[in-house]
Amino acid sequence: MSLPSFQLHRPRELAEAVALWTEHGAAAKLLAGGTDLIPSLKQGLFAPDHLIDLGAIAGLTGISRAANGDWLIGAMTRIHEVAEDPILGREFPLLAAAAGQIASPVLRRMGTLGGNLCLDTRCLWYNQSYLWRQSCGFCLKKNGAVCHVAPGGRRCWAAFSADTAPALLVLDASVEIAGPAGARWLPLAELYSGAGDHPLRLGRGEILSRVRLPAAAAGMRGSYQKFRIRNSIDYPLAALALALRREANGAVTARLALTALNPAPVLVAGLERCLAAALAADPPDLAAVVQLVNRAAKPLSTSTVPADYRREMVLIQARRALEACLA
Amino acid sequence: MITAFTVNGQPRRLELDPATLLLEALREHLRLTGTKCGCDDSSCGACTVLVNGQPALACTLLAAGCDGADITTIEGIATDGRLTALQRAFGRMGGAQCGFCTPGMVMAAKALLDGNPDPSDGEIQAALSGNICRCTGYVQILASVRAALAEAAGAAADAARPKAAADAQRRAAGPTPPPQAAEPQSAHG
Amino acid sequence: MASRPQSDAARAIIGAPTAMVDAPRKTSGAGAYTDDLAVPGMLHGKILHSHLPHARIRGVDAGAALALPGVRCVITGADAPTAYGVLPIGKDECALQPDKARYIGDNIACVVAESERIAAAALPLIRVEYEPLPAYFDPEAAMAAPAAGWLHDHRPRNIEKEYHHVFGDPDAALARAAAVCRNRYVCPAVTHAAMEPHATLARFEPDGGLTVWSSTQVPYYLHKTLARVLQMSMERIRVIKPMVGGGFGGKSEVCPLEIVAAVAARRAGAPVKITYSREEVFYTHRGRPLQLTELETGAAADGTILAVRARVIQDGGAYCGYGPVTLLYSGALLGAMYDIPNVRWDGYRVLTNKPACGAMRGHGTVNTRFAFEAQLDELAERLGLDPAELRRRNFLQPPCRTVNGLRVLSYGLPECLETVVAASGWRERRTGRAAGAPPAVNDGRGPRRADRASAPSRRHGLGVACSHYVSGAANAVDRADAIHSTVYVEAAAPLPAPAGGASGGGAASDAAPPAVAVLTGTAEIGQGSDTMQAQIVAAALGLPLAAVAVIAADSAITPMDLGSYSSRVTFMAGNAALRAAEDLKQQIAAALARRWNCDPEAIRCLGGQVLGPSGQALSFAAAVAAALPPGAAHLRGVGTYSPPREAQGGDFKGAGVGPSPAYSYSAQVAEVSVDEDSGQVTVHKIWAAHDCGRALNPVAVEGQVIGSVWMGLGQALSEEMAYTRSGQLANPGLLDYRVPTILDSPPVEAFIVESLDPEGPFGAKEAGEGSLAAVIPAIANAIYDAAGIRLYQPPFTPDRVLRALQARAAAPASGQAATAGQDQPETKPGPASGPPPPSPAGAPPQAGG
Repeated sequence: MSLPSFQLHRPRELAEAVALWTEHGAAAKLLAGGTDLIPSLKQGLFAPDHLIDLGAIAGLTGISRAANGDWLIGAMTRIHEVAEDPILGREFPLLAAAAGQIASPVLRRMGTLGGNLCLDTRCLWYNQSYLWRQSCGFCLKKNGAVCHVAPGGRRCWAAFSADTAPALLVLDASVEIAGPAGARWLPLAELYSGAGDHPLRLGRGEILSRVRLPAAAAGMRGSYQKFRIRNSIDYPLAALALALRREANGAVTARLALTALNPAPVLVAGLERCLAAALAADPPDLAAVVQLVNRAAKPLSTSTVPADYRREMVLIQARRALEACLA
Repeated sequence: MITAFTVNGQPRRLELDPATLLLEALREHLRLTGTKCGCDDSSCGACTVLVNGQPALACTLLAAGCDGADITTIEGIATDGRLTALQRAFGRMGGAQCGFCTPGMVMAAKALLDGNPDPSDGEIQAALSGNICRCTGYVQILASVRAALAEAAGAAADAARPKAAADAQRRAAGPTPPPQAAEPQSAHG
Repeated sequence: MASRPQSDAARAIIGAPTAMVDAPRKTSGAGAYTDDLAVPGMLHGKILHSHLPHARIRGVDAGAALALPGVRCVITGADAPTAYGVLPIGKDECALQPDKARYIGDNIACVVAESERIAAAALPLIRVEYEPLPAYFDPEAAMAAPAAGWLHDHRPRNIEKEYHHVFGDPDAALARAAAVCRNRYVCPAVTHAAMEPHATLARFEPDGGLTVWSSTQVPYYLHKTLARVLQMSMERIRVIKPMVGGGFGGKSEVCPLEIVAAVAARRAGAPVKITYSREEVFYTHRGRPLQLTELETGAAADGTILAVRARVIQDGGAYCGYGPVTLLYSGALLGAMYDIPNVRWDGYRVLTNKPACGAMRGHGTVNTRFAFEAQLDELAERLGLDPAELRRRNFLQPPCRTVNGLRVLSYGLPECLETVVAASGWRERRTGRAAGAPPAVNDGRGPRRADRASAPSRRHGLGVACSHYVSGAANAVDRADAIHSTVYVEAAAPLPAPAGGASGGGAASDAAPPAVAVLTGTAEIGQGSDTMQAQIVAAALGLPLAAVAVIAADSAITPMDLGSYSSRVTFMAGNAALRAAEDLKQQIAAALARRWNCDPEAIRCLGGQVLGPSGQALSFAAAVAAALPPGAAHLRGVGTYSPPREAQGGDFKGAGVGPSPAYSYSAQVAEVSVDEDSGQVTVHKIWAAHDCGRALNPVAVEGQVIGSVWMGLGQALSEEMAYTRSGQLANPGLLDYRVPTILDSPPVEAFIVESLDPEGPFGAKEAGEGSLAAVIPAIANAIYDAAGIRLYQPPFTPDRVLRALQARAAAPASGQAATAGQDQPETKPGPASGPPPPSPAGAPPQAGG
């Protein structure tokens, strides 16, 4: 199946990419690994006049250490490299686990970390051909005025479905955004708007260029729990990342995040306090923590797998992740 | 736009629409139709080729994005008209039924074996887990990769042995069958 | 009369693991599939599909599309108004619909352009004026539709066909049964998803003839249909089947693009190729229909099955296709694997506004077999019998005729069952009891028993089930007296030996050029039909395999064969090939008998030579030269096959479907575990024994058996065509229609059972379909053994399994002793996005322990 025509740009420098992206705005799309964008172009979800391929920018790849010990990963670093890097894997096994379960081996070699973080949200009513979408009168996210998932509402509930985002959220990662006014860093959670139809909070011309993992998060215990029907290729249908450390004084540092359920990856608020209370009981009572996850998850019928099952699944994942990290 | 890359060892220079996929460049412009298109959503692996030695989906790459790359397709792995051990094993062990997933499957397996000459069954299964086959249930595909490995191991053992001993063993085993050449393009073409 | 390999040479070929003769074409990438073909001046077609599920077409305005540079023409239903269909009673579709769209994806118009991209860009420029009509997606609702909701005017209440069969007195037999099970089973639609999307290339020749290359399982039906719709004589049309990347039934009737390409080529005055997108493959479908099965089986206390009653509703989608055949198979084979004296079967084929169904591997038998074999498991439990023993007590005693008139000669089912029972450790390893019952709040613990430790239980369970299938239909779809297959074996006059050539009349070597050519109309689709015929001919003529060239499926040069469907090719074309080789051999023997003054019967073909009774010997080539009539360039042996009258079944209405000259049998044991927290099912292993009569090529038989088992596994675990409430196929792609990956595919151990069918070529029967059906109930029964839940609706996805576990947990721990009939679920299930599966709640769990 052919792609619709567009003008292709292959900038060699990030600044050039930012300039092109600023110039063309909504008439352009950024191409990283292409594993999501190219199928979407085939389905007519986008018909950009300009495609800006980031693949020729040398400085956007690679894994390195900053002077303060933090880890820096270029946005165009392949998922496969993130999953397989031995030192990164030792320091942040959670990230390796999440990255290593993305799609299939060949797609992990093509897809990039930045692309995964900027993945478009997914929905049964959206990731379809023009004919298909026409047959239901289109939807809020593309060409239409109604949401078939929550009819009557004005919100798009397409699910954010990247695997690395929850892992990086619980590892307290931040992302570097290059833009016309220079570069800025922001906590990863702030990248996401929570709106399914425009999931990223990026301004005109802004490009995610690097990911920073704080040295403080290295060595945390982690668990990545992923539900999908097949053990390869599939996107997650519910997934959860937990990072946890028991400090010397007995305190617990813990963060938990969800993906593939809500229009954004969700860092569950209030986890540490709730967990501390749970652990104070003897035996520990994790039910309240599971309920916290239950309140944060908002799965809707964005997939053929029932939403209520995806909710039950994430609760099971929460318990399993906690048991694994507390063991 | 002009795209230049190496395909199966030959430098190629193509004038292409920028929206041309690598799959289209191979199949339509270079008439290398061994690489197949099985889906439109990057989920079947039938179009797997090697780009700079790494497996990649030709249906999901812009040809222009491969400028300067070294590309290997199913047509490019036989040497002097003799199919590789992997290709012969797929034929012998039932790894190819309808044959449509076979080029992608062989290329994915080749990428694995090029980097890991002694993979476990689990590593083989993991490496092939992006390639869908609708005929075999994968059992004979796994057996094919194993058979190719066994043949390679046998050949390596032969090479390590003193030549006379190997010759004696070969004589004892009887005449070797003539090499099986790749068949020419179907007469229907 | 059974033909057995008589010679060492034959034994070296028949039964020897043999690489497919076309394997190098596949593994090298050099072999051409239809979409790999390109001819000078070729244009590309793209079809416009309906976005409405049911609508009258008021007009098509292609003006804007035609104005796009590069667009050559646009054709619509008016360009090919002749209706067609694979059955004489079902010619209800047009390649492009002239006046009505009947499902989302129906074919409306086709753009022909210089490139696929231009054609795709032109599609949305075509303006179609539709008048929407009420649409029905549920078969039971469609049967109650008012006239405006009838898909076809000649099919009131959307009933394509109904049949009612009664054999014996099932009502009386059920009344005296010691145990009766009654359930409703729902099997959602599944589809073939062959890796090669359909493609067709059509070209008109300067003399007005038409050449069509197409990825089809049925070149002959395509040939006939092209002649009908294009109103040309068959002699003016040449149909060539290039390599085909899998069919599984999805290419076993004519698909719209095959006609559209030809009509478009005529209109454009240039060759036209159409290759479906994957989404179009899903809309073309022709796969296994959604089937609602209400089933009742009763047995005596000793396990003798007394009667079975079934009511089957199949949701056929928008067109007839093979519909009545699919429906009849669901009944004809229901009671034909075991000795069941009383059968009632009521079948309804219903039209709905969804893609049309058709034949898919195990055609018509799979969903009924699932229901029956799952129900047998329940029946065995009620009777306190081992499920394998229950089956054993009901075997047929061949040679025999089943109650519905099917002749059974060879019957390897007992050996299949014993094989998998022994291999799986059935007696020792099956738990033979259901799980208990527990609380039901989801605290992240899942519906596990309250007394269980935190770690999830992964108790393994075993399940057994059997299935069978025809070796070709004994009755052709269109005429009773059809010759089903004709094969020629030709041996040309040998060329003079090259100067200095060393070959002096010795045996042909692997490097020698082919000595004979097999000309056959069979469609190789990956199942190995070319290799099978090469083996049979080589064995019959005492030649090495490499001395046989197969030329197949080109209507200009190969004789007629009905096609690759209903597992008919090994039995039918194999017999025709064997007869053709024997005919050739007789011609050679007759000539040499005169020369050697001996009985022609005493002449043998062996080791590349033709041998007389007194030590005479000629190379095969020299023998051919000696047998050539004066001036003749080649000898031709002709073989045909038509099923014997005795195998063609009874004469009641619908009796034509089900009869076959021979039946294959399969028994399987599945080992599974169930994660009782999440409902996820893991299949650890499947043991599958298949009676294929005789394994001509064990590699190919094992490949077919494992492939069938695996395809059934997909239907059991993850595959389902899910529809939205507004009739859209929710998963029209390989990302969301979840064909198992290698990581989801358990080891399948195949065992070949050889019952040596008296009429099969060298004793062979079918191997490519019969193993599919058993795996679904084997897994369902194993899930019960592992977790104590009965599942009535595949695929057994985690959500469905979890619901059943929750229902089990919620049920009272005692007092649910099952009695006949009480577990008929009341809920009316629908496919994926519809209501939940009918029955976990309705089916009483086994009393704890």
